[in-house]
Amino acid sequence: MKTLLVAEYRDGKLLASTYELVAFAQKIGADSAMFLVGSDSALPQYDGTIYLADSGKYNEFNPAVHKQLLLDVIAQEQPDLVVFSHSSYGWDLAPRIALGLKAAQISEVVDIVDGVLVTPLCNAKLRREVKAKTSQTVVTLQVGAFGLDSDPVGIPTVEQIDTDALAQVEFGGYEESEGGGVDLSKADVIVSAGRGIGKPENLEIIQRLAKALKGEYGASRPVVDAEWADHNRQVGTTGQTVSPKLYVACGISGAIQHLAGMKKSEFVVAINTDKDAPIGEVADVLIVADLKQFVPALIERLHK
Amino acid sequence: MEYTREIYWNVGHGATTLVPMYLLTILAVALLGYQARRLIADYRQGKSLDRTDNLLGRIVFMLKSMVLQSKVLKVRGPGVAHALFFWGFLLLFIGTGLIVLQADFTDLLFGIKFLKGTFYLLFSVVLDIAGVVAIAMLFGLLIRRYIVRPEGLESTRDDAIMHGLLFAILISGFVIEGARMAVTELGTPLALWSPVGLLFANGLAGLGEESLRSVHLLTWWFHLLLVMAFIGLIPFTKFRHIFTTSANYLFADRGPKGKLVGLDLEDEEADSFGAAKIQDLTWKDIFDGDACTQCKRCQDRCPAYNTEKPLSPMKLVQQIVQVAHNDPQADLIAACDKDAIWSCTTCRACQEICPAAVEHVGKIIDMRRNLVLMEGEFPGEEVMAAMENTEVNGNPLGIGYASRGEWAASLGIKTLAEDPEVDILYFVGCYASFDARNIKIAKAFIRLCQAAGVKVGILGKEEKCCGEPMRKMGNEYLYQTLAGENIELIKAYGVKKVVTSCPHCFNTLQKDYRDFDFDVEVESYTSFLEQLVRSGRISLKSDSFDCTYHDSCYLGRHNDIYEAPRNLIRAAGGKITEMDKNRSEAFCCSAGGGRILAEEKLGSRINIKRVNMAAETDSPTLVSNCPFCLTMFEDGIKGAELEEQIVSRDIAEILAEHLKETV
Amino acid sequence: MKILVCIKQVPDMESKFKVNAAGTWYDDADLAWRMNEYDEYAVEQAIRLKEQVGDSDLTVLSIGSKRVQETMKKALAMGCDRGVHVNDDIVQHKSPFEIASIIAEFAGNKDFDMIFTGMQSQDRGSGQVGVLVAELLSLPCISTIVEFAYADGKVSAKRELEGGTRALVSCGLPALVTCQLGLNSPRYPTLPNIMKAKKKELLSFDVTELLKVEARQETVKTYFPDKKAGGLVLEGDVNDLADQLVKILKDQTAVLA
Repeated sequence: MKTLLVAEYRDGKLLASTYELVAFAQKIGADSAMFLVGSDSALPQYDGTIYLADSGKYNEFNPAVHKQLLLDVIAQEQPDLVVFSHSSYGWDLAPRIALGLKAAQISEVVDIVDGVLVTPLCNAKLRREVKAKTSQTVVTLQVGAFGLDSDPVGIPTVEQIDTDALAQVEFGGYEESEGGGVDLSKADVIVSAGRGIGKPENLEIIQRLAKALKGEYGASRPVVDAEWADHNRQVGTTGQTVSPKLYVACGISGAIQHLAGMKKSEFVVAINTDKDAPIGEVADVLIVADLKQFVPALIERLHK
Repeated sequence: MEYTREIYWNVGHGATTLVPMYLLTILAVALLGYQARRLIADYRQGKSLDRTDNLLGRIVFMLKSMVLQSKVLKVRGPGVAHALFFWGFLLLFIGTGLIVLQADFTDLLFGIKFLKGTFYLLFSVVLDIAGVVAIAMLFGLLIRRYIVRPEGLESTRDDAIMHGLLFAILISGFVIEGARMAVTELGTPLALWSPVGLLFANGLAGLGEESLRSVHLLTWWFHLLLVMAFIGLIPFTKFRHIFTTSANYLFADRGPKGKLVGLDLEDEEADSFGAAKIQDLTWKDIFDGDACTQCKRCQDRCPAYNTEKPLSPMKLVQQIVQVAHNDPQADLIAACDKDAIWSCTTCRACQEICPAAVEHVGKIIDMRRNLVLMEGEFPGEEVMAAMENTEVNGNPLGIGYASRGEWAASLGIKTLAEDPEVDILYFVGCYASFDARNIKIAKAFIRLCQAAGVKVGILGKEEKCCGEPMRKMGNEYLYQTLAGENIELIKAYGVKKVVTSCPHCFNTLQKDYRDFDFDVEVESYTSFLEQLVRSGRISLKSDSFDCTYHDSCYLGRHNDIYEAPRNLIRAAGGKITEMDKNRSEAFCCSAGGGRILAEEKLGSRINIKRVNMAAETDSPTLVSNCPFCLTMFEDGIKGAELEEQIVSRDIAEILAEHLKETV
Repeated sequence: MKILVCIKQVPDMESKFKVNAAGTWYDDADLAWRMNEYDEYAVEQAIRLKEQVGDSDLTVLSIGSKRVQETMKKALAMGCDRGVHVNDDIVQHKSPFEIASIIAEFAGNKDFDMIFTGMQSQDRGSGQVGVLVAELLSLPCISTIVEFAYADGKVSAKRELEGGTRALVSCGLPALVTCQLGLNSPRYPTLPNIMKAKKKELLSFDVTELLKVEARQETVKTYFPDKKAGGLVLEGDVNDLADQLVKILKDQTAVLA
């Protein structure tokens, strides 16, 4: 089985998701080569061939051109699987490649079981096994679904590639997000504070946990009512509706308005002294403990 | 001596008096009529509305309210002062009328005098007392307005003119009497029957007869001019309320209380819904502003006003009539301010207390209807989301409709789809179906019914939101869609009686749904349970406990259900320490008017204000009867940091706990 | 200007899903249906473009059983001029490529200046259809937009990238964009528009008229993942609990890489 891994480069940096593609190839025991529109100043640690096009020349975002560069490499390499990350770059480019190859595209793969690709369905509530009917297949991998067990090693063999394909769109550069209003709806990890934090001063523990998990902190309505947290942190029907990969509800009892705002979370951890708190009904894990003691212990372990 | 007096003494009864007097009267009345016509033309900019049904009943109500001052007296202090002033002035008016009747008609034309003898004695003393009481009350009201200055009571030039004119009229009246008595009655037994006049007479007695006669004559004409000015100024000042407030009693809303006016959304002729301009309101909506005397009783009780939101029911009503008089093409909603319009919780505290029978709430809903139906505008994104959730899943919480009946899973009751032969349909409502805290109330209610041997059925996943919060927010279309679906279902199952534990569902099914050919009996769970307790079908153990009780707006003011819940609490052993604001004066929890769907962004939190009132009673338990109140109090107790002090509970759960399980 | 917006009717994600009898998809029963959330932003943006340009015609297209007409009515009530319903009672069995081909077959000869789609659907979430349609019609395509502006024949958009960064991309017309959440605030249909929508043209085609390609993939099985730690309740010493939680997070989520 041969794979071609489409690595990503952004703002002068190679994205770490590249190694998830490597891990996937390893998992299925396939050979791989890599494709990248990037720069030789930021090459992945990878033992294999990397077909490199200069992002300085072709731009980091330029679908029509990237497509042609990639199709040329595919024509040469003849991989069975073309593997992308299911990212804003991957889901934009992959369908173009799939169409060009008359190949099936299977998106957001989370697992591969006995050679069958598994994708999520309906907000990850269900799983779907999909099989391509074409000889070549394009896949995009869910970010974080695959990962290397150990640190990546290797030095790639670089093959320079070029094309005279024309751009269809103009890329005007990047715009960083403003700090200001917090958009919890886009966060992958949210740690929320409920009345159980006891005092406004204890919000700090929650914020530290959020940071340790590389996420945002949120709050339930009573906490915002009491003005311990700003209104743009409120999670719930009258606050923000969120769907993070991980939601940690600290000292939140689970009133319906709150649940309705975070029910779409993929994995819910609740920390509450009350074993029967309604939040337990949506929590994958309910830790019966005083958050003032548990959370610092958790933070300690996360920092290791 | 003969107990009588010469009418027109010293002034003259001839043409020199009568002609100018009647000419001035005609002039004053003409001015009154002229301005009244202009005002009426302004009211008629609004749509028509028939408020002449049951005319006899309306007239009786008007007379009772006017003469007995029943609504005015609901607030003691200024109410008593006004009532006494009114009765005083009324008596003086009648007295003057009797004088005119005798002097210019019965005596002049037929030689009949009736102001004599014992009748005249009584007449004199009654009018003297009336006059001095009126002056005293007017003085008290003056002190209140200008010295005490109650918060929110604004005074304008209008008020100053009114006080001044009335004082002048009343005092000049006594000066006239005093001057006359000083010449004709001093030293006679008759004088004692006009005690106040006597005081004035003694004060003026020093002047010689000639001076007294001059004083009398001048003051008489001065008093006449003042009275003519008074009459002419009626429609230009708050004096208009003599007519407008009285008329408002005649045209009052005869109920049912809290029922909103329907909208025919199928009307092809209608190019607009709700109120965006003054012409979209009814004449009555506009007229209310001139019947309003700006007494601020509504404002004093408005939960929004009392938590620093921009809404004042009084100001809103005034803004509407000002638009009608001064700028009829204006943007009505901008004039009333959107934030004010959205802040209303439809608690009806304003309408309940209003002594002028003003209808505040309907106007607000009308403007909301325009914003929602014509502009697609809501007070916040969260409200739009709740509307969309309801469209998709039949509940504003956005929870999958299929799980609506799951709370009842192991309770041994069935859905009507499974078994439609039931004693009652329990219409659960969205909160008791989906919110963990409120599910406990639904379960408690079932337990109580089962203990009483009542067979209960629910609609389960077929039940949809009753539509009340949507309707109160102005989304009449969504409300009508939901109502139609619920009604069709309930009728199809042949339901005989519906009981609900949510006052909003209760009010809606009991009143609003009647617009749609819905005749099924609807009862609130408190009345239903009270009946079961009274008839012995439910036995309660009376374990003594202390509590305070919150009257929800929709069971309380909207439906006058105050005692049944209290009886239930006491039957379970509860000792209720009432909050200051209880029964019809209860302070809203904040979630009515569709505001359960919205964030409270302006001012301070209404629910926190109310739980603090509860905490002030030192009761460990705050008992309520509504899922919205329960939710607001749970939040409010946490927000006010009172968890150690007070817990919020619903009547149903308390009763269920006190069930005497019979074998 | 001729504009097309493609929408999909999906089940409300709050529904309780069950696997269908054949084990190939979710069951239709007990589901509440609604417009795919991403498509709501697409419809809103299409309407705004129509309002901006004036003298425009906006078509809304959807593929599915008769039931999808309810969702199309919402799009019409928001402001679309006409609807095209491609009737397909088994649309859930079609793969993104077939869906895109159907749309391209319809749109191919219609000279649309702008096509809007959502960037993905809430149920399948493959995120392919919009881009495939553009490729099939040889249109420039900007996906995942959170800002859209049109002026002088040119589209200026901002793509949303991971971490909240945005990429500025522009192109000329005709073009296709796929819309991300937060692109705009979809309007609530006003009553007059709801009433008008009932009378707007809603053409129905049978899918066989437009489906000219074959499937390139198939669903083998649809199932519920094993209940991860469904309702796992842990008690004990906080330090032990913290260790346990870290292990759970590593095993069951992608959060602690």
